[in-house]
Amino acid sequence: MYWNPGAEKTPIKDLREIQERKLKALVHNVYYYSPFYRKKFREAGINPWDIEGLKDLKKLPFTKKPDLRDNYPFGMFAMPLSQIVRFHASSGTTGKPTVVGYTDNDIKVWVESMCRSLTACSVERDDTIQISYGYGLFTGGLGFHYAGEKLGATVLPTSAGNTQRQIELMRDLKSTVFACTPSYMLYLSEYAASIGISIENDTDLRMGIFGAEPWSEETRKRIEDKAGIDAYDVYGTSELSGPLFTECTEKNGIHIWADQFIAEIVDEEGEPVGEGEKGELVVTTIAKEAMPLIRWKTGDITVLEEEKCACGRTHPRIMRIMGRADDMLIVRGVNVFPSQIEHVLMQVPEAGDHYMIILDRAQDGLDVMTIQVEVNEEAFSDKVSDILELSKKISNNLKSVLNVSARVEVVNPGTLQRFEGKAKRVIDNRKL
Amino acid sequence: MPYSEKYWQKEEIMPKKDLMELQFKRLKHTVKNAYENVPFYRKKLKEARIHPDDIKKREDVSKLPFTVKEDLRDTYPFGLFAVPKEKLVRIHTSSGTSGKPKVVGYTKRDLDNWINMVARCLYMTGIRNHDVFQNMVSYALFTGGLGMHYGAELIGAMVVPSATGNTERQISYIQDFGTTAIHATPSYALHIKEVAEKMDLRPDELGLKIGCFGAEPWSDSMRKRLEESFGLKAFDSYGLSEMNGPGVAFECEEQNGLHIWADHYFIEIIDEEGKPAGEGERGELVLTPLTKEAMPLLRYRTGDLTYTIDYKCSCGRTHPKIHRILGRADDMIVVRGINVFPSQIEHILMKIPDAGDSYQVVITREGTLDEMKVRVEMKDELFRGELEDFRRIQSKIQKELLKEVGLRINVDLVEKGTLERFKLKAKRVLDMRKDTI
Repeated sequence: MYWNPGAEKTPIKDLREIQERKLKALVHNVYYYSPFYRKKFREAGINPWDIEGLKDLKKLPFTKKPDLRDNYPFGMFAMPLSQIVRFHASSGTTGKPTVVGYTDNDIKVWVESMCRSLTACSVERDDTIQISYGYGLFTGGLGFHYAGEKLGATVLPTSAGNTQRQIELMRDLKSTVFACTPSYMLYLSEYAASIGISIENDTDLRMGIFGAEPWSEETRKRIEDKAGIDAYDVYGTSELSGPLFTECTEKNGIHIWADQFIAEIVDEEGEPVGEGEKGELVVTTIAKEAMPLIRWKTGDITVLEEEKCACGRTHPRIMRIMGRADDMLIVRGVNVFPSQIEHVLMQVPEAGDHYMIILDRAQDGLDVMTIQVEVNEEAFSDKVSDILELSKKISNNLKSVLNVSARVEVVNPGTLQRFEGKAKRVIDNRKL
Repeated sequence: MPYSEKYWQKEEIMPKKDLMELQFKRLKHTVKNAYENVPFYRKKLKEARIHPDDIKKREDVSKLPFTVKEDLRDTYPFGLFAVPKEKLVRIHTSSGTSGKPKVVGYTKRDLDNWINMVARCLYMTGIRNHDVFQNMVSYALFTGGLGMHYGAELIGAMVVPSATGNTERQISYIQDFGTTAIHATPSYALHIKEVAEKMDLRPDELGLKIGCFGAEPWSDSMRKRLEESFGLKAFDSYGLSEMNGPGVAFECEEQNGLHIWADHYFIEIIDEEGKPAGEGERGELVLTPLTKEAMPLLRYRTGDLTYTIDYKCSCGRTHPKIHRILGRADDMIVVRGINVFPSQIEHILMKIPDAGDSYQVVITREGTLDEMKVRVEMKDELFRGELEDFRRIQSKIQKELLKEVGLRINVDLVEKGTLERFKLKAKRVLDMRKDTI
C-alpha cells in the first residue's frame, strides 16, 4: 500500500531532478528572505547563483544547533510572522529553548510525509492508533495525531503517562497501533504482565511505532517477542518538523522522502563519506517555508542506502541511528545535554564544582539518570535534613530545565573523581 | 476563510425563523438516526413508546427520554456509536472518577463541525490570524486542548501548544512569542498572575489582549479581577466532551451571556422534576446535538445550571444565549437545608479588595449541625497591619456572605500561599460531612 504512489515511486533520476530544482529555488529564497542565511552565505563567500545543482551542495555552510539558539526566537524564520500558524519548542541548554515555526503549508507537508510513512509500515483506516507520545510543545504527539486523522484511522490521543490507564484504554477501545518510545513499550509490557494482562493475548495490538531515542535490533526482538507485535522505527527531529519517517514493512531502513528532504552523510571534518560508510546525518529541507534549514547537522550517526527498496519505494533509506556525534544524551525520549545539567548545578550556591552523570536502564526498561554532586565546603553539613533539602532543590531545578526527572545524590567534598585533561563526567551503563 | 470581517460563518446571523426551522428539521433527523442506528436508543424509545415520527412539533421533544452520564458509562466503550468503526477518526475519553471513563467518538465531519464552532467562538472574541494564541490547558484525551488548538489554527492564528505546567516557562513564552490571546482555567490564570509578580513582572504589561476561560464555573467579579490584572478582555467558554468539547457556547463582545449554537444543538432548560423550566427560569441545561454523526445523544442532561437569555444581541448573532453557568446540579451544596453554590461564594470574595485569589470552602458536621467555613487568602499587608482591621474585614466578609447565601458562614483569613494551587480544574470545596455520616 502507498499513500501517494506517484510520489513514492518516482524514478530515482527524476527525484534527483526534483531535488536540484528545489535546492536552487531554496538557496535563492533564503538568500533574499532570511537575514541569517544571507549573512551566512556572504561569510562563506557564496552567491545563490553558484549553486547549479546537487553537486554544489557541499559548498553550502552547515546549520548547527547553536545557530537556532543564537537566533531565538524568530531569527531563523524566512516568512513573516502572520504566515506562521504553529510553534513548537524544545527545552534549551541555558534557559532559552529551540523554537520551530510552521506555515499552513509546512503542516500539510509534515502530515503528507507522516501519512506516507504510516502507510509504508502498514497503518490503515481501520486501525486505532493510540498515541502515547507527549502532546503540546513536543512535536511527537501532534505529529502523529494529525497524520493518523488525515489517514482516516481512529486516533486515541492518550499522551504520555498513566500506564494503568494506557493499558485499560488499549484493551477496551481495541487499539491496534501504539506509538511511544521503545523503552516505554518495554515498561508497559512488563507492567501489563504484573497485573495479569498479556499484550499479545488480551489486546488487539498488532504493531508499534517506536522512536525519540536510539534503540537496537535486540530491543526490537525483545519487544516483538514480549508483546507479540511488529515493531517499527520512526525518525524525525523537531528542527525538521517532528516525527517524519518510518521503516517500511521490509524493516530494513527508514525512508527519507527525497522530494521534501535532501539527506547527506558527512564525516567528522564535515566531508561527504564514501558510499555505505557511516557518519553524521545532514539534512536540507527543500519543502519547508517558515524555517527552511540548509545542511542541518542532526548529530545522529547513521548510514545512507540509496538503492531502490524491495517495497517499491525509490526514496533513499537511513539505517537505524547508531549514536550521537555530539554529547547529547537521550533520556526517556528527552534530549539532554550535559552542559544543561552543569548550568543548573553551577547556579546552586551550595553545589561544589564536581559532578557526575550516571545513566542506567532499570529492569523495567525505563532510563534512570543519577546526578552526583559534591556539596561545597561552606555549605557542608552533618545534618541529613539539610542534605536532603539540597538534593530536592537541585532535583526540582533540573526537572524544570530538562523536562525529565533525575535522582540527585549530594556527596561530601572531595569524594568524586578528579580529571586531568578532558573530564569524563558521563557514565552511560545503558545497553541499547 | 471567514464569512466576513465580523463573523466566521454565515450561519451565525441566520434569520431567527430560519434558524429555528433548521434546528427542528435537524432534531427530527437526529431522532431518526439514533433510532435506526443505535440499538440503545431504539430500545429506549420503544420502551417509552415513542417513534421518531411522533416528533411533529418542537414541544414534542419533551416526549423523548433523557440521556444521562450513567448511560455513557453503562454502554462503555462503543455502545452509543451510530457509525462503524472505520468512520471514526478520533476518540476522546473523560477520566472516570469512579470506574470506567466516558468515551466520545468523532467522524471526519464531526471534527469539521466542531472545529468550525470553536473557530466561530474564538473569532467572536476578536482572535484573528495575526494573533498568537497560547493554549494553556491539557492536550490529549481532554477535549479542551485539541479542540481550541484546531479552532485557532483554522482561523490562522499562531498557536503555541504550551499545555499545562511549568508556569515560569509559560510566562517566558508569552513574552518571547508575543502572545496576545490565552486559553486557561480562570484559577490557573490567577496562578500565572502570582508567579509573574514573583518574577517582578507586571501582568498587565505582558501584552495579553484576549483571555478565554472555561472548564470551571467562575463569576463576574472574577472577570473583573482577571481583566484588571492582565489588562485583557475575558470571555467565558462553555463546552463538554459529550457535546464535542469546547465551542458549544461562548461570550461575544457584549460579555453578557453565552451564544449557544442553535444550528448544532437543541437547547432545553428543565426544572428538578425534569419539566421544562419557565421562560428565563433557572434550571438544568439539556442538550441534543443535531449534527453529530458518530454519537448522537438525545436530551443529554449536562448537569449544568443556567437560564436562557433570549433577546436581540447587539453583536448581530441570532443564536440564543445562556447565562454563565451558575453551578453544577451535583455541585450544589445543601447546608442546613439551604442550597449554596460555590460560585456565589466566589462572587462575594472577589468583590473584597483585600481578598487574595485563592479560597476554600470546608463543610463539617458538628453533631447534627452543618458548619460551613470559608478559608480565604488575604493580601500580605493585612497581616502586617492592625488586628482591628483584620477583624473588621473578617466580619465584613461574613456579613456579605450571609446576605448572598442566607447562611451564617465562618470566615478564616489565611496568609498568601497557604492554600493549594490548581493547574487544571480547581477543587475548592471540601465536604467533610461524608466522613461522619
